[in-house]
Amino acid sequence: MSEVKTQEFRRASAKVLANAKLQSYLGRSMGTFDGARAEAIEEISPERWEELRQQGREIKRHTLDNLDYYLEMLQERVTANGGHVHFAKDAAEARAIVGQIAQTRGLKLAIKSKSMVSEEMGLNPFLESIGTEPVETDLGEYIIQLAEETPFHIIAPAMHKSKEEVSELFGEKIGRPNLQDIEAMAGAAREVLREKLVSADMGITGANFLVAETGTVTLITNEGNGRFCTSVPRVLVSITGMEKVVPSMEDLATFIRLLPRAATGQRISSYVTHVYGPKRPEDEDGPEEYHLIIVDNGRSKLLADPDLREALYCIRCGACLNTCPVYRKVGGHSYGWVYPGPIGAVVSPVLVGLERSKDLPNASSLCGACKDVCPIKINIPHMLLKLRSQISEGSPTSSTKASFVDRITSKGYRRLMSSPRLLGMARTLGLLAQWPFSRGSFIRRMPIPPFSRWTRTRDMPALAPKSFRQVWKERLEEEGR
Amino acid sequence: MIEGVGTPSEQFIASVREALGRKAGPPERPYARMVEERASVEERAEATMERLSANRRANVDELARVASLRGWVVHRAEGVEDAVGYVYQLAQKLETRRVVRSVEDVFGDVPLDDALTSLGATVHVMARGDESAGSFDPADADLGVTGVDYAIAETGTAVILPRRGVSRVTSLLPPVHVALVKPSQTLEGLDDLYLLRRLAYLRDGVDAGSYMNFITGPSRTADIEQTLVIGAHGPRETHMVILDWGL
Ligand code: SF4
Repeated sequence: MSEVKTQEFRRASAKVLANAKLQSYLGRSMGTFDGARAEAIEEISPERWEELRQQGREIKRHTLDNLDYYLEMLQERVTANGGHVHFAKDAAEARAIVGQIAQTRGLKLAIKSKSMVSEEMGLNPFLESIGTEPVETDLGEYIIQLAEETPFHIIAPAMHKSKEEVSELFGEKIGRPNLQDIEAMAGAAREVLREKLVSADMGITGANFLVAETGTVTLITNEGNGRFCTSVPRVLVSITGMEKVVPSMEDLATFIRLLPRAATGQRISSYVTHVYGPKRPEDEDGPEEYHLIIVDNGRSKLLADPDLREALYCIRCGACLNTCPVYRKVGGHSYGWVYPGPIGAVVSPVLVGLERSKDLPNASSLCGACKDVCPIKINIPHMLLKLRSQISEGSPTSSTKASFVDRITSKGYRRLMSSPRLLGMARTLGLLAQWPFSRGSFIRRMPIPPFSRWTRTRDMPALAPKSFRQVWKERLEEEGR
Repeated sequence: MIEGVGTPSEQFIASVREALGRKAGPPERPYARMVEERASVEERAEATMERLSANRRANVDELARVASLRGWVVHRAEGVEDAVGYVYQLAQKLETRRVVRSVEDVFGDVPLDDALTSLGATVHVMARGDESAGSFDPADADLGVTGVDYAIAETGTAVILPRRGVSRVTSLLPPVHVALVKPSQTLEGLDDLYLLRRLAYLRDGVDAGSYMNFITGPSRTADIEQTLVIGAHGPRETHMVILDWGL
């Protein structure tokens, strides 16, 4: 599995927060994505968008609720189309399958089109170890491969790199120094990669959707590298999470309307590629051999929990990242594993283990923006709350419990909030206690734990002189009701 | 086949079933689309074809409008000469040396080879057994010309089904791609396309083809500082020539 650093969320995010340049850049570019999405929705009309979201959600719900049935159908049809279907329960099995294919066929150069699961598996170092050269061919993925980093964003993996950094990287790693503008950089990458694209013997892709009824793998791309990967090499391998299935080809119309709009605000991407197994004997070109590897790697834990199952509806558009006030501050790497942002805060803890990702479900203000923008209406805040309570109470998926203080506070909080009388008393005490520490409407430093820990990284809003309940009551009286 | 690695399919699917707490068999609450009889899919497809031919004009107009918004250079040719002339002038402007094209009926309607050859360009047909191919590497071509199988008005998309005579890379390798579209190939929306391709698979299974490509304008990337660059690994320039006479 690719290296898990989810336990380092606090340290990693503090570093990003202190980087002023990245901060201003992050805010700006996330806003660009967000704006493009809003515009595309306006164009198709909000009513139509709602209709599509509902359709998308219902298709996903039906498919995931009957996933075993559709996986069986998919396997049967891909096989009928002349492909091979493999199942991997975890990353190690998935690597072994890819390794076996590459080694028994003597494959030396693998061109890759974006696959998140291959990140989960740590596929690139593995391929290198068996003597097959992996080359990422999506420009963003290529940049982070050269930089030896992990994706910063689901759909814009290298968005944290400035053009100066890319220029330096290209000078150092591919012998193309002093490129000034972005067009020249893209051009240099195109040239270097073209040679690989036309000579590779292995193609590796992910999948946006798998159509059960026709055994079709669908890829949505803009650059054209996915077309090379599926056209040129003699062996093609698609590696994908098991949740990507949809029942029928006709379902694709809905998702193709949803995904590019939510992701980049595009009405459709430049290319939508549909692969039905290997080339047929009479075809001019295409892979002689086709393999589809379907990976679980912890997904059945999400499937088994009715509260978390809908995390598997995700179509990886990145909209929840772009809109999330936390992601916009801490960026993608802080989340410590393949999937960042709000959806990552749900998926990663379950896939890598709750005990080492306790901070992720808390990395959210539960503002609900993610749910509002999600093209599948996935209720992320609800799932984050579920995970928080699993952490604090201990659960089947987690062997650890929250600290004593956390448990006591969360119990105390519940009592307090359910009794107006207790709440009133607590307020009065609080007003007295905060008096020495507050400056204006914020408390910057508190001396006693556990509060001192909180104010180390944040300012705490001080209790207002009048409570909301008081103000509300006075308002009503003023208006004479 | 791959022996001894991975989880056997029965075991994998059984574990998914167990996670769901479900019994084997089709969904308890069926999905209307998936229990539809073939005859009903066929009826819908027929109704679609009728609707398309009744609305052809409007669909072609919409295709031309949307395709140009999506980055195609759209030319509505009024006759054979106009279509050939357009490609001729384009090749002239680009100083084209090598052209690749596929083998499709549309080249019977629009004979391009002589015009392009008269410019001094060589025309290579990308098909097996084609003599002109020789030692020619299609990666060196500077212009690729293809027909299409469908064109979708909703999205401004050309749909190509590679097969004998139609290579996957004619529209991918050269920096400039010209797609010839007959009005009769125009569909209104994505639903029409997927319905027709679904039916093709239900009828012909494995023989329905190995690949389907949607092409919507030039290739592009915005992976560096979100700045749009037109022309990534695929063509930087795409032309849609609509053969706007009784085809
Ligand atoms: S959870 Fe929704 S918004 Fe977030 S990436 Fe997935 S589909 Fe997109």
